[in-house]
Amino acid sequence: MSDCCPGSKTMDFNEDDAQGEDETGARQSQLKQWPIQLHLVSPQAPYFQEKDVLLAADCVPFALADFHKDHLKGKSLAIGCPKLDSDQEIYVDKIASLIDDSKINTLTVMIMQVPCCMGLSQIAKSGADKATRKIPLKQIVVGVEGGQVLSEEWL
Amino acid sequence: MEKIMSKDIRAVIDQCPEVGRLLEEYGIGCAPCSVGSCLVSDVVGIHGLDPQTEATLMYKMEKALYPDRDVPEPKVDLSKIVPKEINYSPAVKNLVDEHVLIKRMLALIPTIADFVENSETVDKDLILSCVDFIRGYADKFHHMKEEDIFFKYVDEQSEIIKIMYEDHDTGRNHVRNVVEGAENGNKAQIKEHLHGYRDLLTQHIKKEDEILYPWIERQMTDNQIGELFQRCSAADDSVGEELPRRYEKFIIDLEEKFAKEN
Ligand SMILES: [Fe+2]
Ligand SMILES: [Fe+2]
Repeated sequence: MSDCCPGSKTMDFNEDDAQGEDETGARQSQLKQWPIQLHLVSPQAPYFQEKDVLLAADCVPFALADFHKDHLKGKSLAIGCPKLDSDQEIYVDKIASLIDDSKINTLTVMIMQVPCCMGLSQIAKSGADKATRKIPLKQIVVGVEGGQVLSEEWL
Repeated sequence: MEKIMSKDIRAVIDQCPEVGRLLEEYGIGCAPCSVGSCLVSDVVGIHGLDPQTEATLMYKMEKALYPDRDVPEPKVDLSKIVPKEINYSPAVKNLVDEHVLIKRMLALIPTIADFVENSETVDKDLILSCVDFIRGYADKFHHMKEEDIFFKYVDEQSEIIKIMYEDHDTGRNHVRNVVEGAENGNKAQIKEHLHGYRDLLTQHIKKEDEILYPWIERQMTDNQIGELFQRCSAADDSVGEELPRRYEKFIIDLEEKFAKEN
C-alpha cells in the first residue's frame, strides 16, 4: 500500500470529468476518486472533506443497475465487506476519523439484505458513536433478487 | 376532475361535504381547518399516500362530486395497507421530540385553567411561568428553528408554510392575551386564551409531525439534511444545554404540583 502502488494511489478526479448524463448512449461514471476500498482510503483524503459519504458493501453496486445515477452521484465512496474483510476495528476508526477529521456532512451505508451485511451498518454506527462530532447516518438495504431498494431510513 | 384539482379545498368541501368526510376517513383532516385555501392537488399530494390509496381516494371523491359519471373503480384492499411509521432525519426527529415537551404543557392547560377559575385571586406567578415556557421554549427555542432554518428549505410562499406562520402568530396573540389577563386578574381572559393556545398548538403539532415535516424532508437532498443537522445543532449550542433542561424540569415540577393537588 505504498504510494507507488497504482492500486492504492490516492486520486481525486476532476469534478468536470464526471459531469453530464446521457441516458441514450454510454453513461458517465459518477466515481470521482481513487482508491475506494476502506482499507486503502485515507479518511483524511481531500475527496472526503465535508462531503456526503457513501459506505457501500462490496456487492451493492452489482445488484443495482442505477447505482451510479441514483446513489453514487454527488457522494464520495468507501466500500468494504463485513463478512470477509479483516481488521474491521480499523474500519470503525476510519469512520470516526471521516466524521471528526474530514468533517463529512452525512454518511449513508448501503448493504445487501443478507444478515451478515448488517455488520457494515454496525461498523458505521460504532464509528459514529466513537466520533465526537455528530452527523446524520442513513441505512439503505438492497434486495438480492431483482436489485430493488427495500428500505431507506435515517438511523 | 382536473378542474377540481386546482380548486381551493374549502370551496370543494362546501360544495360537497362528502369530500370532507372522505378526506377525514383517509386521515386528511381538511374539514375542521378554518383556512382551507390549499388546492385539492396539494392537499392530496402533500400527504404522501401510496399510489393505490391515492387512486382510491381520488375515485371516491370524483364519485361523490359527480355521482352520474361512469368512473372505473381501482381495486385495492384497504385492510392490507399498513400505516408506515415516519422515519425522520435526526434534526427533524429533535424537532418532533421538542413537540413532546410542548404537548406535556398543553396537557396541563385544562387543569391550570380550572385552577385559575377556582382560586380566589389569580396566581400571577404561575401563569407567567407558563408563559415563560411557551415563549422561551415553544416559541423562541423551537419555532425559531422552524422559521429561521427548517422552513427555509421549501418555498415559503407555499400555502402550508404560510398557514404554519399564521399559527405561530395566532399562538403569540393568545399568549399576549394570557399575560394581559394575568396582569388585570381577568380569569375569563386567561382561561379563554390558554384553551385557545392549547387547541391551536394541538392541531399545529399534529400537522407538523404527520404532514409538513415529512413533506419537507421528501424534498431535501442528503446534502441539505446534513446541513440542516449542523445548523440546528449550532442553534442549540448557541442557547446551551441548560435551557432545554431547565424547561423540562419546569414541566416535571408543574406535573407534580398538579398531580398532588388533584
Ligand atoms: Fe410550528
Ligand atoms: Fe413545531
